[in-house]
Amino acid sequence: MLNYTNAITEEKSYSSLQMKEIKPVMKLVIRGKKREFLSAIGKSLNLLLPTEANTSSRSDKLTALWLSPDEWMIYSNEILNSESNEYETENLLNKNISKTNLGAVTDVTDQFVLINMKGDKIFDLFETGSPFNFNDFRNKKGSVTQTILAKIDVIIHNQNQNEVNLFVRRSFSQHLFSWMNDSASRL
Amino acid sequence: MFIINCPYCGEREQSEFKAGGEAHIVRPKQPTELSDDEWAEYLFMRKNIKGIQFERWVHTHGCRKWFNVVRDTSNDKIKAVYKMGEKPPTK
Repeated sequence: MLNYTNAITEEKSYSSLQMKEIKPVMKLVIRGKKREFLSAIGKSLNLLLPTEANTSSRSDKLTALWLSPDEWMIYSNEILNSESNEYETENLLNKNISKTNLGAVTDVTDQFVLINMKGDKIFDLFETGSPFNFNDFRNKKGSVTQTILAKIDVIIHNQNQNEVNLFVRRSFSQHLFSWMNDSASRL
Repeated sequence: MFIINCPYCGEREQSEFKAGGEAHIVRPKQPTELSDDEWAEYLFMRKNIKGIQFERWVHTHGCRKWFNVVRDTSNDKIKAVYKMGEKPPTK
């Protein structure tokens, strides 16, 4: 990613909780309703979009998050080359989805900041500032939710046992990160 | 504070939603032929019932979808939730 300045420069560590920004990671939001749209995505990426609410699906390279009945976020599992703003996946989807009028593809790489959290106190932290009920969520690997954390819109992906990816809009990220550190220091 | 069962995402807290006012208000077919009073009636006048009311809500901080809610305005009890375009429950 060219000329990228980190939104969050520190990596924070507490007992049973670590938080850091992961970059550069490609993030795309795709929207579409037709059945052909779903199958075209499946064929292009070798990844089936999750159609069940609050779930995700994963391939070797990509993860797809359910955001709404006609909206998904796709992000790369691995860190990408920081020397380029071109994404193979985006070009492929532009060709197969946008150009054929099946749906919309939007690059949100720079819009969202990915904060990776590890440890068994993640959900204790969330519970201090979110109205969402995490009881079922935390036990279900791959579950996804869009909710509020400290009055900020976030997308939370329960990637693995004790590992969560949190997406937040870039302009809110520093504030949210400082709030999370403040809250984590008191857990 | 109460819980709304979003037809797309499931049960969520009310603070994730925004209320969109009374539901099932039909836009006049020929707005140009209405008098100012009739237009104002359509635009501004709402029932604001104490009791069971049909309302539109949007899951702003979630899936961003609109849907309808039947809510008792006196105690915030939700009687039914249904998607846009679906027929309102009769009972």
